[in-house]
Amino acid sequence: MFDSLKKKLQNIRTKFASNIEEAAGVGVEPPQPPGKAEAAAPLARPESPAVLEEREKPTLINRVKVFVREREILIQEKDIEEPLSELEMVLLENDVALPVTDEIISRMRAELVGRHRRIGDSVDDLVVSTLRSALCGVLGEGFDLLRYVEEHERPVKILFTGVNGTGKTTTVAKVGHYLQKNGFSVVIGAGDTFRAGAIEQIVTHADRLGIRVVRHQPGADPSAVLFDAVQYAKAHNIDVVLADTAGRFHNRANLMNQLEKIRRVMKPDLIVYVDEAVAGNDAVIRADEFNRTVGTDAVVLTKADMDPRGGAAISIAHTVGKPILFLGTGQGYDDIMPFEPLAVVNELLGGEV
Amino acid sequence: MLDTLGNSLKDAVKKLSGKTVIDRAAVDELVRDLQRALLSADVNVKLVMQLSQSIKKRALEEEPPKGMGVRAHVLRIVYQELVRLMGRPGEVSLEPQTILMAGLQGSGKTTTAAKLARYFQRKGLRTGVICADTFRPGAYDQLKTLCDRISVPCFGKPGEPDALAIVREGLSAFRRQYEVIIIDTQGRHALEENLIEEIIQINEIAHPDHRWLVIDAALGQQASEQARRFHEAIGIDGVIVTKMDGTAKGGGALSAVAETRSGIVFIGSGETIEDLERFDPDGFISRLLGMGDLKALVERAEEAVSTDEIDVNAMLKGKFTLRDMYKQLEALNRMGPLKQIMSMLPLGGVQIPDDAYDITSTKMQRYRVIMDSMTPSELDDPSIIGSSRVQRIARGAGVAPEDVRELIKYYKIMQRALKGMRGMDSGRFNMQRMMKKFGGPGK
Repeated sequence: MFDSLKKKLQNIRTKFASNIEEAAGVGVEPPQPPGKAEAAAPLARPESPAVLEEREKPTLINRVKVFVREREILIQEKDIEEPLSELEMVLLENDVALPVTDEIISRMRAELVGRHRRIGDSVDDLVVSTLRSALCGVLGEGFDLLRYVEEHERPVKILFTGVNGTGKTTTVAKVGHYLQKNGFSVVIGAGDTFRAGAIEQIVTHADRLGIRVVRHQPGADPSAVLFDAVQYAKAHNIDVVLADTAGRFHNRANLMNQLEKIRRVMKPDLIVYVDEAVAGNDAVIRADEFNRTVGTDAVVLTKADMDPRGGAAISIAHTVGKPILFLGTGQGYDDIMPFEPLAVVNELLGGEV
Repeated sequence: MLDTLGNSLKDAVKKLSGKTVIDRAAVDELVRDLQRALLSADVNVKLVMQLSQSIKKRALEEEPPKGMGVRAHVLRIVYQELVRLMGRPGEVSLEPQTILMAGLQGSGKTTTAAKLARYFQRKGLRTGVICADTFRPGAYDQLKTLCDRISVPCFGKPGEPDALAIVREGLSAFRRQYEVIIIDTQGRHALEENLIEEIIQINEIAHPDHRWLVIDAALGQQASEQARRFHEAIGIDGVIVTKMDGTAKGGGALSAVAETRSGIVFIGSGETIEDLERFDPDGFISRLLGMGDLKALVERAEEAVSTDEIDVNAMLKGKFTLRDMYKQLEALNRMGPLKQIMSMLPLGGVQIPDDAYDITSTKMQRYRVIMDSMTPSELDDPSIIGSSRVQRIARGAGVAPEDVRELIKYYKIMQRALKGMRGMDSGRFNMQRMMKKFGGPGK
């Protein structure tokens, strides 16, 4: 995942660096070898508040003053305009939604313009650290499900939501397997009573994994099914309840109300929103809508193995401001990967060119 | 968000109106807004760039034809270029044929296969469906359930791991009896080589007349790449866009069309088996750019209502009695959720509150009951309904007299609103008012 984005970002970095170098009016230093950037990478967000205070308006006088007195240069807006618009294209090409792209770009601009740079300091580091802080800000913290379950009162109730066809049922099975592997007992509530074949699907998965399923007839009230699943877990001392639901579009008021009712009835500890990593701009709209109607505590991105560009991760995380829990990476039950934002950002910016 | 984009696009277009000479700055602005609209509709970035280049070039270089204003000229170019991008709608012939469905996981192949079966069945063709999805649990149950609802035979062998064997058997069982055979396959993506190999083999065995790629409207920039690989594997000759009832604009489908040099055949727009529309480029473009789509609405209205039942034109002219309203409510019922219909009307950026729909659809039920208690003369001329008639109708329908008065009030609002809709431009204001009133009298 993120391969395409990564490659492009490497190019952009060099571009930023050389543009800023040229602007300095001193000989163009060769861009830093990537090895060094990687070494600098683990120092997350090296620009401290002190750096921010240091800013001045990049007028000519100031530039000269700074240059002569302190052998530093000031970065001007026009120096970075071209690479910024190129970065914008890169983000868009990689499925980062338009409003999110806008915000990353303006954050980059605001942080870079007016910054001092000592001659001989690596431009690369400056650009990387700015981009890093922009991306870190967007991706937020990770989420450790095992610790969460460990620390909370059992049974921990997890409700899965999302639009049609994003892979909720498969994800429920995978998460069930993941929890079981890590020593927790699991029961699944077959809350998708609408889609034909959905109950058969989850029951088959659960049978293969040896997980109990609480189910009703097709067409039954999902709230009742999930309530029963919770009761079952309480009676049998089961650690985690995983509640599958029918896919629904965020613009259907009655279906969203039904989800609201499910939430009231089963009182989930965690609401996990499931969407696919290949989704484009709509990802933002629907994530926002789900977050507003029923809330979202964490996100699972599925289909991350379809050579996706990872933009949806950035868009959704930014929109709902909630951590990404897992990436779904294939059709097997083990194809699920806890999401570590710092590692992802490091990989995006730090890796080899 | 898209609405605001649609609006800024309209503003940019407005700036061009009244101008006699093409203004470079105004064109630049229009192109920029167009780019943003298309990008947020998930159209491939490279396509957007190509498109905007050629629009800009043509807008600045071509002379507007005599008598055509600058605005119309530029709009025409935008429209032509978009249509060119979109290709022609894929052909659907009503003759015996085999159709192979392909697509990513969760794009809606199974649901679409059933909808297609329904489509051909309604056109009077004997149709059968083969379930070649051997991987996803419940896939056969899903397809079987859907097919049973419309009494279409569904061939499948749950537990049989070999999709090729199922296709072979299914075809030999169905070929004699059925005219249209639809083969549903398991979801796969371009990097799963063994699965791509599988669909290549299915394609070789089945010799389908059509190989249709099912694309989720929300699919982003990945659409191009996936479509390209599917095309290389089996030669896609049509694209079906699903989940158009959400908020996604389906720009990914454009990328797929461009990659496969085919056309969009159908659009899936809802969860019931009837929710499949033939693709209409005009409507698609309107939706892409955040403008309404009257054509698709009329098409649906025609299918749902036989011509002698309701006269759309008379309605739009404002000749409108309670009887018309009754038929209209019935037709609306058949056409599906009100919201879906409203989204197809060219209301532009008018924001309609969600609860307005809910209130109206329950209220419509009640209105129909009340109208059932009226005499023919009352239905033809509601002005004769005085207070004693109101009492009688209320008793007959089992409602309070206020409900009857509310209905009459609603009728008057509708009548006025429909008069307003005659000229679309001037109508928008009235539509807005009408929508407000829709939610209004219900307390």
